Parts: sequence; C-alpha cells; structure tokens
Amino acid sequence: MKQAHCIYQDDDHRWLAIARDPTKPGYIIDTNEYVIANGDEALLCDPGGIEIFPAVFSALSAECDPTKLAGIFASHQDPDIISSLALWLEFKPDLKCYTSWLWQSFLPHFGGTDSTFVPIPDPGMAIRVGGLDLQAIPAHYLHSSGNHHLYDPKAKILFSGDVGAALLPPDQGGLYVEDFSRHIRHCEAFHKRWMGSDRAKRDWCERVSRLDIDLMVPQHGAIYQGADVQRFINWFAALEVGVLRG
Amino acid sequence: MNAPEPNLKISLRSAGELAGIVRVNEEIKAIVATAFRINLMALNAIFLAKRAGNAALGFGVLSNELRRFAQDLTRNMASLRDMTSGSVGSVTGVVQQQRNSRILAEAIRLSGDVPGVREARKRGAGRLAEQQAKLRSLDLRLRAAVDETQQLVELGGVLARSAKIEAAYGGGFSPALMQVSTDFAEVIAQIKRSLEVLGKERLVKD
Repeated sequence: MKQAHCIYQDDDHRWLAIARDPTKPGYIIDTNEYVIANGDEALLCDPGGIEIFPAVFSALSAECDPTKLAGIFASHQDPDIISSLALWLEFKPDLKCYTSWLWQSFLPHFGGTDSTFVPIPDPGMAIRVGGLDLQAIPAHYLHSSGNHHLYDPKAKILFSGDVGAALLPPDQGGLYVEDFSRHIRHCEAFHKRWMGSDRAKRDWCERVSRLDIDLMVPQHGAIYQGADVQRFINWFAALEVGVLRG
Repeated sequence: MNAPEPNLKISLRSAGELAGIVRVNEEIKAIVATAFRINLMALNAIFLAKRAGNAALGFGVLSNELRRFAQDLTRNMASLRDMTSGSVGSVTGVVQQQRNSRILAEAIRLSGDVPGVREARKRGAGRLAEQQAKLRSLDLRLRAAVDETQQLVELGGVLARSAKIEAAYGGGFSPALMQVSTDFAEVIAQIKRSLEVLGKERLVKD
C-alpha cells in the first residue's frame, strides 16, 4: 500500500510524497503523488489514475485532513496524471484543478465542470496555497504540448512531472536517488523517447538552472536532492531526445 | 461457482440495461424501416386503385389511410427513439456513479472514518437515486408510448383486412389488389411482433 512520506516540513508548511505501492497491479506504471500543505489548505500534484485512487486517498488521509484539499495541479493531461479527477471531485466537489489552458476542454472528459478548471497560461502563473505562492513553470513539450512543473521557492522544491522520471527495477525502490550514475541509466530510454523537443529541453534546462532547488521531485521514480539536481539538469541538457531507439 | 459480489451484480445489471436499450433501438429501427415500406406500398396501391377506376374506389380510400398510418407510425417511432437516446445518458450516468461510489467506498475502507467521507457518500447516493429515478420515469414513458403505438398498429391491421375485402371487388385488378393487401397484412404482422418485443423490454429492472 502507498504511504505518504514527509519530505519537507517548516512549521505547517509541508511536502508529502505519496510513493511506492507494492500492492499495485504490475501492468500499471508506478507513480508518485505530492501534497503541498500550508496552513489550512493543501494542493495535490498529479493525483494519478482511477485504479490507484483508494491507495492515494488513504495515504493522504493518514497524514493530513483531506477536506483541507483546495486544489489539484495537473502537470499535463495523461491518464496516469489525472484520470482520478472525478473521484476527487466526488469527495470534494468544489476542488479547483490547475492545468494548462490547452487541456481545459479535454480534462472534463475525466470529470469536472466549467468551474472546476483554472487554466494556466503558457508562461505559467502563481498558485496560492494557504497564503503560500507556488509557481507553475513552463515545461511545454516535455513531454506534453501543454505542460507545467510546480516550484515552491520557500521549500526550494521543484515538482518536475515526467522530467527526471525513472522506470526503476523492483530492487531499487528507494525514495531518494542514492547513486546518481546508477540511477540515471533507468532514465535514459524514457527521456529519449518521451521528450520530443530538443529546443524545449534546452529552454527548460536554462529556466530551472536559474532556480534555487534543493529537491527535484518527479512523477515516476526517485527524488533528486542537493547536487544531484544540477547533475540531472546537465545530463538532460546533453541528452539527445526525440529518438525512437538508441 | 461463487455468487457474484454485490458491486459486480450492480455493474452486470447496468450492462444489462445498456444491452436492453440497444435491443429497443434495434426494434425501433426495424419498425421505422417497415413503416417506410408501408408508405411506398400504399403509394403504389393508390396508383393501382386509380388504374382500376370505379371498381377499386374503396381500395383507394383504404390505401390513403394506410399511407397516413405509415406516417403516424414513423412519428411515433421517432419519439420512441428520442426517449431511448435520453435513456443512454441516464444509464451511463448510473454506471459512472456506481463506479465512482464503489472506488470511493474502497478508499474509505482503507482510510477509516476521515473527515468529509460521510458527506461524500451521501452526495453520491443522492446523485445515484436521482439518475435511477430519471431512468424509471423514462421507462414509464417508453411503455406508455409503446402501448399507444400498439393501438395504432391494431388500426393498421383493421385497414389491411378491409383492403383485402375491397380487393375482392376489384374486377380484373382483383388479383393484383389482393396481392398488395396481403403484403400490407404481412408487414403489419411483422410490426406487431416487433412491438411485442419492445413491450417486454425494461430500461430498469425491478
């Protein structure tokens, strides 16, 4: 069963990583969900698919009051990101879903009404959670054509969606990257195939290099911390992307 | 074999309801096609009666009535079709709500009595009851419309029988008129069979 791990805490400002579900059927890709709680509000990043909703809801409820959930941040439109939307709305009908304007009329196929969605413009925007300003950072074409990451300048954490994702073998289930060069092997095929634009990749690398990041938290795989964040950015900048094989 | 779990029973029942709607739609399509055929047959019968002259005056009047019957039948079927289209939306709503409630119930089972879950369950149950009531009301309207159409088709049967009697007075055209009136009787019998099937279908199982 998934568990919520506190990866950052400063008073009532917390980041929870909901990760690793050994009970999940093998045919479903493993995902990480993140909760940013501040004061009386919380935001859930990439809540995941329908099948894992009970596990995510249960892990979240174990660590924080689910009625405090004010919004959902969907980095893009994929089913493993946001197909559980209808279920979260079943629990809390007034939830707001922040997502790229590009997907505003696509995501209602998963659930929600006109009032559910808050479109994020291409350059990004600030998202307020209990008085804390988070920043939606553009990451278009990485891999989705309307894609944002989420940066918390106070906690110095970047939620990087599919960028930094690793498809890890079962024996490497640690929450954090422990050995970068060993870990990055599990990122290579994924990034080459999923990330389609070299130009978008370079833009993103430049953009995030200017941010002060302690933790980079992807939607799949392990969390990068400290110097491994810049190591990843450098590795990604040099990687040839948008290739079918090789 | 073990009995299906309650949630599975609900899903199977909903799947059965969708299959029921498909069967209703197929019967409606068959009746609409037959009504179109009656319309053409009646048009031909009118021309035939005109060629037969005075001997087939009564047959001509009945052919006109049969044509009107075919048009009324087409209208009735169009309204039945609208009802079944609406019921697809309602059945889908019930299926979605049942699925959401089932997954939410599993989440609640894993989480225990966390804040907000009772209200969420209550809201879900309310929405499900609303969708099911909508479906029941559609089912009642559909049954009433089928009853009304059955009466109309009874009238069509009477017209076809009368046309057969009139055909006997058609002089040299009698064999041709008899053939046309027999065809009328056959297609109307076919419609009656389709309506009987429709009358047995239920959008919601009791």
